[in-house]
Amino acid sequence: MNHDDLLSVPSPVVSVNGLGKVFGTFDPSMIERTGPTTGTARDAFSGSIVAAWDVNFEVAAGEALGIVGESGSGKSTVLRCIAGDQPATTGDVRFTCHEEGTVNVLRLDPATRRRLRIDKLSVVYQDPAEGLALGVTAGGNIADPLTAAGWRNFGRIRSRAAELLERTEVPLDRMDDIVRNFSGGMRQRVQIARALANNPAIVLLDEPTTGLDASVASGVLDLVRRLLEELDLAVVVVSHDFSVIEMLTQRCIVMQHGRVVEEALTDQLLEDPQHSYSQKLVAAARA
Amino acid sequence: MDTTLQPILEASGLAKSFTLHNIDGRTVSALHDISFAVQPGEHVTLAGSSGAGKSTLLRVLYRTYRVSTGSIKFHLRSGRVVDIAQLTDVEILALRGREIGYVSQFLAAQPRRSVLDLVSRAGVSRGMSRTDAREMAALSLRRLNITEALWDVHTAVLSGGEKQRVNIAAGLISPPRLLLLDEPVSALDPENRARAIDLIADLADAGVAVLAVFHDLDAISRLATRVIRMAHGRIIDDGPAAEVLPFLQPSDVQP
Repeated sequence: MNHDDLLSVPSPVVSVNGLGKVFGTFDPSMIERTGPTTGTARDAFSGSIVAAWDVNFEVAAGEALGIVGESGSGKSTVLRCIAGDQPATTGDVRFTCHEEGTVNVLRLDPATRRRLRIDKLSVVYQDPAEGLALGVTAGGNIADPLTAAGWRNFGRIRSRAAELLERTEVPLDRMDDIVRNFSGGMRQRVQIARALANNPAIVLLDEPTTGLDASVASGVLDLVRRLLEELDLAVVVVSHDFSVIEMLTQRCIVMQHGRVVEEALTDQLLEDPQHSYSQKLVAAARA
Repeated sequence: MDTTLQPILEASGLAKSFTLHNIDGRTVSALHDISFAVQPGEHVTLAGSSGAGKSTLLRVLYRTYRVSTGSIKFHLRSGRVVDIAQLTDVEILALRGREIGYVSQFLAAQPRRSVLDLVSRAGVSRGMSRTDAREMAALSLRRLNITEALWDVHTAVLSGGEKQRVNIAAGLISPPRLLLLDEPVSALDPENRARAIDLIADLADAGVAVLAVFHDLDAISRLATRVIRMAHGRIIDDGPAAEVLPFLQPSDVQP
């Protein structure tokens, strides 16, 4: 960074513009019939769900952005559209690590999209069953993205897997145990190890600690926080839990009924929320 | 104080109100028409009774609170001037750390990290080399009476007073150009408080501008070059410490 010109802010790695996702038939008129003003994401005429609409944000390397909201607010949908798990209805998503950000990744053919998932972007899901093959060993789960990226040498794959397990604090003697026999917290650690296998530029975390015991969750959170500090990742964290958002992110957006109702610095959101919905969420978290 | 110096911070016509949408939409006004400037090397203490708006003002300047009206001109290291009230969130993040720092009375939740590591990381984040940061962290911790036996323990196991001293060490290492201090020594016993105050006193010599809230008169008389007295969200007095201090009421330094 140039010290004489501090406010030249880091350039974004992820740029999301006008992202929208509708489940069901789409008709532009349903936009004004849904959202926070009408109190629902479901269009009464067509029955379609406007799960996310007009979502815009950028994330730089070394930065973590939070997406906050209750279940059904559309936050996971946004993440899944960016990841490519679900096709978006509309929008423009660019990664500077892919074709220098000149390409809208939402329009890529499926094969190129899959390559991006292997080489540049990883997702850590709330449910380890989504991110891991539970019947496969921890080492095997990590080897999978490595072989997909072209690694062929068994010894090197083993040692990379060991390095990642060590980094995520999974005992090495469990490397050859199948993941189904792991505890919830340990499964999340293996999922994180797998997500980091190919040194991605972008990591998307979807409720990474939800459903874990408090002490286990804090250990996993701790791990994620240290990885964020040590690796220069662009990170998006989806969570309904403000302690997760506070620990991991510097900025956030708040979603309600599929729309972004507030954008803020994380400390600002917690101390001076503007939108009535944000105020309700923060008050509930403090209670 | 050399008054020909450029101020580092100029607040003018600053106001802050909170709209509480879920408590019958009422608006609470916390600051009104706040105008003042701070020079590099100046130590300005905010005084006033509980609820006068001292902490609110610090939070507005750090942009933890959004500004309702008014401007906060900040003179960057580069000589450029920005209005904190108008900066984007990303720009605020770029400003925080090396230009503006905020030290509260609490150590923010940290991942499992040792005391020495936490303090030296703060230095590295503000541009120090790892070696310098470790040396400086060790020096500060020693000056703050944090014994070496505690340097490699995780901060969660520290006492309240130890945490507060670690927080000060982290906040003051390679200090930013403007430091906002919100009761940073409130939990310390007299001896450790005196040590912390010594460390804070060094900031002025280093040219750091400090805007602080303390709840003890000793700290204020030792540190302040200027005192701004607030009441009901307004500035009611602003002058050299020697002139304002004699008029402070006991309630002006209550937490």
